[in-house]
Amino acid sequence: MASTTYHSSADETFFVEDEAAQRMTMRDAGRMIARNKQEMIANELSRLAHDEYLEDIMKHMRHMEDETLPDANLIDMQREIQWFMRPYLIDFLIEAHAAFSLLPETLFLTVNLLDRYCSKRVVYKQHYQLVGCAALLIAAKYGDKKDRVPQINELNNMCCGLYDAGMFTQMEMHVLNTLDWNIGHPTVDFFTQLIVAEERDGREVEHMAAYICEIALYHRDFVSTKPSIMARASLALARAILSKPEVNDGEWDHTENVTLLTLSQHLHQPSVTLARKYSSAYYSKVSGKLADFLAQQAAISRRGPPSPPVEPTSLSTKTADIYSTPHKGLGAGPGVADGYMTPPITPDGNCFGHNQAMIKGYQAPPRCPVTPTPQPNHVQPYPQQQQQQPQHMAGASYFEGPTSHMAY
Amino acid sequence: MDGKRQHHSSFQQLEKLGEGTYATVFKGRNRQTGEFVALKEIHLDSEEGTPSTAIREISLMKELKHENIVALHDVIHTENKLMLVFEYMDGDLKKYMDNNGERGMLKPHIVKSFMWQLLQGIHFCHENRVLHRDLKPQNLLINNKLQLKLGDFGLARAFGIPVNTFSNEVVTLWYRAPDVLLGSRTYNTSIDIWSAGCIMAEMFSGRPLFPGTTNEDQTIRIFRIMGTPTERTWPGLSQFPEYKANWQMYATQPLRNILPQIDEKGIDLLQRMLQLRPELRISAAEALNHEWFAEFHQPAHPQHHPQQPMMHPHRGYQQHTVPSQNVYGNYQG
Repeated sequence: MASTTYHSSADETFFVEDEAAQRMTMRDAGRMIARNKQEMIANELSRLAHDEYLEDIMKHMRHMEDETLPDANLIDMQREIQWFMRPYLIDFLIEAHAAFSLLPETLFLTVNLLDRYCSKRVVYKQHYQLVGCAALLIAAKYGDKKDRVPQINELNNMCCGLYDAGMFTQMEMHVLNTLDWNIGHPTVDFFTQLIVAEERDGREVEHMAAYICEIALYHRDFVSTKPSIMARASLALARAILSKPEVNDGEWDHTENVTLLTLSQHLHQPSVTLARKYSSAYYSKVSGKLADFLAQQAAISRRGPPSPPVEPTSLSTKTADIYSTPHKGLGAGPGVADGYMTPPITPDGNCFGHNQAMIKGYQAPPRCPVTPTPQPNHVQPYPQQQQQQPQHMAGASYFEGPTSHMAY
Repeated sequence: MDGKRQHHSSFQQLEKLGEGTYATVFKGRNRQTGEFVALKEIHLDSEEGTPSTAIREISLMKELKHENIVALHDVIHTENKLMLVFEYMDGDLKKYMDNNGERGMLKPHIVKSFMWQLLQGIHFCHENRVLHRDLKPQNLLINNKLQLKLGDFGLARAFGIPVNTFSNEVVTLWYRAPDVLLGSRTYNTSIDIWSAGCIMAEMFSGRPLFPGTTNEDQTIRIFRIMGTPTERTWPGLSQFPEYKANWQMYATQPLRNILPQIDEKGIDLLQRMLQLRPELRISAAEALNHEWFAEFHQPAHPQHHPQQPMMHPHRGYQQHTVPSQNVYGNYQG
């Protein structure tokens, strides 16, 4: 997996600077006034729905949240897929999600469906990306407009033709059946939107929190974290990073505090793909701001006086590259100790078994690298620097680290 | 879905009940229990895979278990089709009006019972953050116990707070809210309430209230009765994509002149459901508390006033369409 070589020009990716598009013409100004007026009406409507139904809806969402939480301990038991493979797949999904301009919640729903499937079924390494694609298809069909839903041949191209077209629809049905068609998972941004409206957080805070939530998608630690907790923790962290005042949002329980702390430990060396996405003006350039903030923190701590910053542990631990650190094992032990002895259920072949050739197709050695590899001339997600990232980069060298990362 | 997976051969397929845009519905019989069911067959396209309508309909209906929403019993997947097994209903409201109404008009107490049940179903959707988005007589199913249930969730979707942006290509034209006709994409629960108001008027009169032919015709028909809005009566109106400065100006018609069949309290409720401005439209919860429904509202101590189950088919209120608690109670149990 790691042996795949990439060379790149980052310009060819989907995340392009949109500075030029920012210039405003008169017509745009007119449109913006209209949009603002519409937004006011929309806000009024939400306020009404809020007053009327919020309590009931929250009750339902908390129930759905519990029903649809993946179990990282069960994913630990997968024989073929390993946690170190995850960042490659998440990178691929983030690129594909952006390429099809899908709604923000679709990405979170995709990863939720993927993880729930992997908590229930044995997944072969060569099918990991296929499951990801099927999850993306389902999530887009659930939430996005029809004309945005990816075509199967487009997805197939993004996978370098690794799979037969029919495998996508078969896997889609298999995922739907495995999850018993329970797709209505409340994603983190459902809760984020609520808190942002309540606390009147600005766009920048919202974008920073979204960036942090997407960073979290790469890590095992947050696979079983409830979206409502993730929303609260990521927003608190975002406000701190952007030096916005803390808000008084009530008691924090132990899980929330742990989530906040763990999140703060995972902000270093985010995926290059993700950092690029959040470097655009559309997202308030938050990836650059986060890198600057971390560099500042590092500089402060190098100078000596150990004034505990927002992230007390940020400098001492877990700075390793997400692409090369196998997380597996960290949770497997406790998982077993907690009594997760039942192995994941093997696919029953019911959905795949219609034709033998197809089954052979699944077991055949992949024609392409097993890792998600978007269309070579289209997407270039893993620039060489990522591969060459020295392991000893941990510690206080953020200055070099992030800046070289951000240089695209 | 109910524990054990059924096979499609467990059902005997009987006559065709209807044909939708993406599915065909058959009457069926469970070979083991003899119970009737409705079988909705969805063709699976090998290019597209599972249709988004099916994904939304199935996943949302699995979350919505309520006596005024058609129950989805099972989903059976065969090679090239998907079969949804629903509880059997004898017909829909459109057919019921054609067959049992006087030139389509239903008796006031039947209308009231149906409206009560319709609003219960809508209220349950909304408190579970689901918009139906296609309420019309054809999608309201009726059984011979005169229970009314919401069906066909093919256009339904989950909403967020604050409201998300949606497609405005929703709801059959005649039942489409004015804000949606004007191009709003941030509509909310109020979109279903407008449809419910149109359906209430239609049950009383036997005729659709606003039978438009095009988007513009539909808009004008609404204005002719409800009055043409202005920026003064509807702040923000001129910002809608479909706003026209040269709309014909119509005065508001009193609804009681158009619908003399409806009593005063009924007219008051209808008026509140048919507000042009979505933010002024009554919610399903409030509508259920409206005094037009006073006879359904339980006294404070139900045990002192035992409800008689009313099984007479023409009265139509049987025990479990009457709420066991007040409208804010827990219907899920």
